[in-house]
Amino acid sequence: MERIIRSKLTWAAVAELLILLVCLIIRPDFFSISYQPQNGVLYGSLIDILNRSAEITIIAMGMTLVIATGGTDLSVGASVAVAGALALRLMRWDIYAYPTPGDWSITPFPLVILASLVVCALMGAFNGFLVSRLKIQPIIATLILMVAGRGIAQIITTGKQFTILYSPYKFISQGSLLFLPAPIVIMAVVVAAVALFTRKTAFGLFVESVGVNPSASRVSGLNSKRVILLVYTLTAFLAGISGLIYSSRIMSNDSNNAGKDYELDAILAVVIGGTSMSGGKFNLAGTVMGSIIIRTIITFVYYFSIAAEATMAFKALIVAVVIVLQSEPVRARLAKRSQMRTAIRKGGDVRA
Amino acid sequence: MCVPKRGVFAKLSNPKYVMVLATIGIFLVIYAAGAAAYGGKGFTSVRTFLNLFIDNAYIGVSAVGMTMVLIAGGIDLSVGAVAALTGMFIAYGNSVLGIDPFLCIAAALVVGVSLGLLMGAMIQYLNVPPFIATLTGMFLARGSTALISAESIGISHPAFDALAKWKVVLYAPSFENGFEWVKVKPTAFINFYVLLFVFMILLGTYLLQATRFGRNVYAIGGNEQSAKLMGLPVARTKVLVYGFNGLCSVLAGVAYTLYVKSGWCQSLSDMQLDVISSAVIGGTLLTGGVGYMFGTFCGVLLKSLIPALITFNGNLLSWWGKIATGALLLLFIVLQRVVVASSDKKKH
Repeated sequence: MERIIRSKLTWAAVAELLILLVCLIIRPDFFSISYQPQNGVLYGSLIDILNRSAEITIIAMGMTLVIATGGTDLSVGASVAVAGALALRLMRWDIYAYPTPGDWSITPFPLVILASLVVCALMGAFNGFLVSRLKIQPIIATLILMVAGRGIAQIITTGKQFTILYSPYKFISQGSLLFLPAPIVIMAVVVAAVALFTRKTAFGLFVESVGVNPSASRVSGLNSKRVILLVYTLTAFLAGISGLIYSSRIMSNDSNNAGKDYELDAILAVVIGGTSMSGGKFNLAGTVMGSIIIRTIITFVYYFSIAAEATMAFKALIVAVVIVLQSEPVRARLAKRSQMRTAIRKGGDVRA
Repeated sequence: MCVPKRGVFAKLSNPKYVMVLATIGIFLVIYAAGAAAYGGKGFTSVRTFLNLFIDNAYIGVSAVGMTMVLIAGGIDLSVGAVAALTGMFIAYGNSVLGIDPFLCIAAALVVGVSLGLLMGAMIQYLNVPPFIATLTGMFLARGSTALISAESIGISHPAFDALAKWKVVLYAPSFENGFEWVKVKPTAFINFYVLLFVFMILLGTYLLQATRFGRNVYAIGGNEQSAKLMGLPVARTKVLVYGFNGLCSVLAGVAYTLYVKSGWCQSLSDMQLDVISSAVIGGTLLTGGVGYMFGTFCGVLLKSLIPALITFNGNLLSWWGKIATGALLLLFIVLQRVVVASSDKKKH
């Protein structure tokens, strides 16, 4: 019992279930899922929540590892914008010859994907270099690209907005695999890959040990600089994937709004999921739960058709409740109370 | 331990001052470059220089509070949202509800300072990381602004307009027809919010350098554990620092509202970035314990010089401004590293 109360994941799950319950009361058809044979894909609010949470979940996988090393990455939103801008620019290099968008791409599709992701990974490597070699505080090191990144995205597209109708690109967000929207499948693959990579190899342990004590890990023979570099590179790479999904959803690039506040949502997802901002142990399942909570709140608010910005107020309230419940003093007190109750029931010594 | 060097140079080479000097130096270099390139277009005029203040007064006002938060080892992401909320309070309160705008400002002050104190309490008593606590505050303030109204609302109130229009035109002595005072050409002036900016910088300097509260802030940022062991009022000081920053955010919102004369829920969405960058460019260390209000003052001016240069150039995309700001940040952060590393070496 104490372990369950002490577990941060429990509180996240309780919060999610409560929000879903309220949704169900307001809209009895909230849980219904229907199958559309012509598209070969499942429809429903729950599927939609998963689908729309894909961008944040994918980034949050990397962010979990970054936070576990005791860092933060504020530049992921900018990476999202850069990935979309570069992909659109590469596919529409011929914009001056053919101003009307069509179902073609001037650059081979694999090259588009590869180039966008590689450029994002390089941005991550830059962050990782600043943090690991120059020992710059992560918040401020990644602030540089957070500020400059959107400028880079705008320069790539010379401040223009491109649109495209290329079907393979459309498939990334609107296609379906295994009866599910493609983003859910991409998200599942990323989550599984990161989980396997961190839990089936020693890498997860390395990340945690760097987060707990970087100097001790270095002394015990761990190349902590390389671990940090890799973690930031991976996060920006995942932000690139997320950026491709986002720009594929709108079939355009939007350097101002693409990935806006994603860094905040991703960090929130990680913290709601029970990974401590001070580094150390991380919890990937919790992060997925955190990301889904955030998306559920947004969906929930949309049902009331309130202004999109107002979602933030609800987000703030729910996040505040989750964070307060998870905070060390509150959890300690709750656990103590349950301990006392168990003791009283057993007729034992209450003081113990 | 080595014997501390004496003299002006030794004092200036102290790592505490190097960063501020670097900010001033780079400001002068960029200003000189701008003067060489666009001097003929009026870049060197007093008016252009004062416009740096007028266009960035709201960032400067907020940077005063942010500098204090950063020195105490924290961070505050909610400043832009609180400033936007203030603008909405004034706009909605006056234009829709018909309340006196100065009453609205008073209400915003109460709300902003309370939110700051609340976030400070969350950080201090619940051990929530400052980043997360103030992020929640930012969401709350931004969301509430949108709940009040999703539209942009204009403000028109005689006293408020008068305050927005109020200005002091600068005069300079002229000896052409004997001695007399004439207006500087092109007409240069300062507004109410420029005075507010300068006043807040002076107030911040006083609080940090001359009061017990300021010493506590530096001590907490330097090492919170030691500060606690020394018996300093850590909890009270930390909560108050966030409260003071809430006050600065509201005043920044007032300055911005006087500047644009409207309130909108999406305004100032990147203000926290500008404010934090200004403080960092001004030599405040994000690890806490180091920073000066005067440095922040120079940081605000240096950061605002870039958009001014891009405007004078006329051909560059404004996006280069973001990249240049990123480059400046990189330069200063690396410089901070070098300065801190070399001063650490001297100590050992």
